[in-house]
Amino acid sequence: MGVLESLELGFAVAMTWENLAYCLLGVSVGMVVGVLPGIGHLAAISLLMPLTFHVPATAALVMLAGIYYGAQYGGSIASILLNLPGTASSAVICLDGYPMTQKGRAGPALLITTIASFVGSILSIIVLIFMAPPLAQLALSFHSADYFSMMVLGLVAAGSISQGKPMIGLASVLIGLLIGLVGIDVNSGAMRMTFGVPELFSGISIIVIAMALFGVVEVISSIGKVNGRARDKTEITLRGLMPNRKEWRESFWPMMRGSAVGTGVGILPGTGGGSMAAFMSYAVEKRTSRTPEKFGTGAVEGIAGPESANNAAAQSAFIPTLTLGIPGDAIMALMLGALMIHGIAPGPRVITENPELFWGLVVSFLIGNFMLLILNIPLIQFWVKILQIPYRFLFPAIVLLICVGVYSLSRSTVDVMLVAGFSTVGYLLIKLGFEAAPLLLGFILGPMLEENMRRSLMLSRGDFATFIERPISAGFLGLAALLLIWVIKGELTPKTPISVTHDV
Amino acid sequence: MNILQSKDFLAGLAAVLIGFFVIVTTSGYGFGTPRQMGPGFFPLTLGVMLSLLGVVIALGALRRQEKLPKLNLRPYILVPFAILIFALLIPRVGFGPAGVATVMLAGIAEPDTRKLHLLLLAMGLVPAVWLLFAVGLGVQVAFIDWSF
Repeated sequence: MGVLESLELGFAVAMTWENLAYCLLGVSVGMVVGVLPGIGHLAAISLLMPLTFHVPATAALVMLAGIYYGAQYGGSIASILLNLPGTASSAVICLDGYPMTQKGRAGPALLITTIASFVGSILSIIVLIFMAPPLAQLALSFHSADYFSMMVLGLVAAGSISQGKPMIGLASVLIGLLIGLVGIDVNSGAMRMTFGVPELFSGISIIVIAMALFGVVEVISSIGKVNGRARDKTEITLRGLMPNRKEWRESFWPMMRGSAVGTGVGILPGTGGGSMAAFMSYAVEKRTSRTPEKFGTGAVEGIAGPESANNAAAQSAFIPTLTLGIPGDAIMALMLGALMIHGIAPGPRVITENPELFWGLVVSFLIGNFMLLILNIPLIQFWVKILQIPYRFLFPAIVLLICVGVYSLSRSTVDVMLVAGFSTVGYLLIKLGFEAAPLLLGFILGPMLEENMRRSLMLSRGDFATFIERPISAGFLGLAALLLIWVIKGELTPKTPISVTHDV
Repeated sequence: MNILQSKDFLAGLAAVLIGFFVIVTTSGYGFGTPRQMGPGFFPLTLGVMLSLLGVVIALGALRRQEKLPKLNLRPYILVPFAILIFALLIPRVGFGPAGVATVMLAGIAEPDTRKLHLLLLAMGLVPAVWLLFAVGLGVQVAFIDWSF
């Protein structure tokens, strides 16, 4: 199928009333949670995951993806106006966005980030459209050993390129893999780690894990922390949004460079959530700038570049997820989870076997970004108002939605208790430095990793050399080994922590 | 500083404990051979890897020590408790009372919030959420269901 035909199919799917409505719902929810500190897009996606049981697969993914990139738009609003990042990936927007507010340029800053988000997303979607089909074609020739090694690389990357300590990140991956194995082993029919609880026979739902680790743990750590913020006094009018000519000129190339950086970084595994893309773009802008001393005092380049980058990364992260079935971060893991809930096996066949899903989703990205552009600018007053909802009334609602959402999965109180249990243990582990995102990645890949390992070893009659005799597999394992060596070297040499806020 | 207060040491210890727990649980599952992997092959391998990694992490704590961060204790106890209460109450009293109890219990995790405000919030929120799920999505759950 040619690109034009595919896009035609995509438009036909995405432009149905149902899918348009779910797209709008997704991007609106995304905007809201992006704006609000103390509830991230991961929590929001987890909260809405139960809804996906009631809608077709395409609509479900369109909505969940909308939350994700919608939150990238919304996140910058709190950063600019209050110096509080609504999402992790917009933390870097605070550096120059808030100084712009202090200089009375909040309006132009908001408009430029909106445009930058839009530009970054669109450029990245174009790359996705042209890159995904050939990549999936290539992946069709992969054997189980190649898959195994690719997953190992993805997991090693997710564990070691995380925010915290690489060793603990890797331990988080292992714990996730193990939780993923709970239930009946499809191969032998043996019960594994079910402890005689019938509700565990079919395994633990990804929704339970996501709600506990992203929803409840986030609520626990935010209570009492995100309340006492200053009331926003900035008045924003539509006319005050217009940047001047100098600001337009200064933001054009940063947007282009930011989009390129973001698209590239987003494809790589383990670079989750766009924050790495945003920080890299900030560093690039500062280095290429003729006036680097302006950064941190309200430089337009410092918001235009990173904002394009985190949105571009949010879109290009779908490339490995949809073509290879390897999620790059926790959000992509949730997307895969939603696919599996609908009985679609992730992997290179998704594009050829479910073209309406793939192309419908891609086109919905385009539509969703237009919606966000339209939602953002005239409604800016509304988003600013939302910022003033006190968290102490918000979080009881979140807790209730978590409970009823999990209960609605299969009307099982055991699932709800599991959420309580996993959040109790999870909060402690996260306080000790374990990380939820690599854990979730391990959780989703665990059964696939085991299955591919079993298949490879059966074909090779138990010879482990199969993993290094196939060139593709050897390549992936080699990269994973390099990554591990690099990480261990970094652990052994005393390092000065890279401080992002002061010197990039 | 006492080693037991070191964040990395405790993290390593936690990994070792989880690893051991897995090893003990899965050692009876039939290991099989690489050619015919049994149900225990994969989990047992992972359990061993996790324990070893835990030892490495704990040893790292001997060189550089970081104090354990403070827990947000009040919400840590109340929020999971509120969720547990929901699970216990919903089959016995229905969604309405269970929801109100959950909102109130979770809400008092923030000590400054007035109980009356929370009650008003619950009064509005619980029926709205019930309508959304029971009517909107067709989840079979009664609003009030006294079946002790």
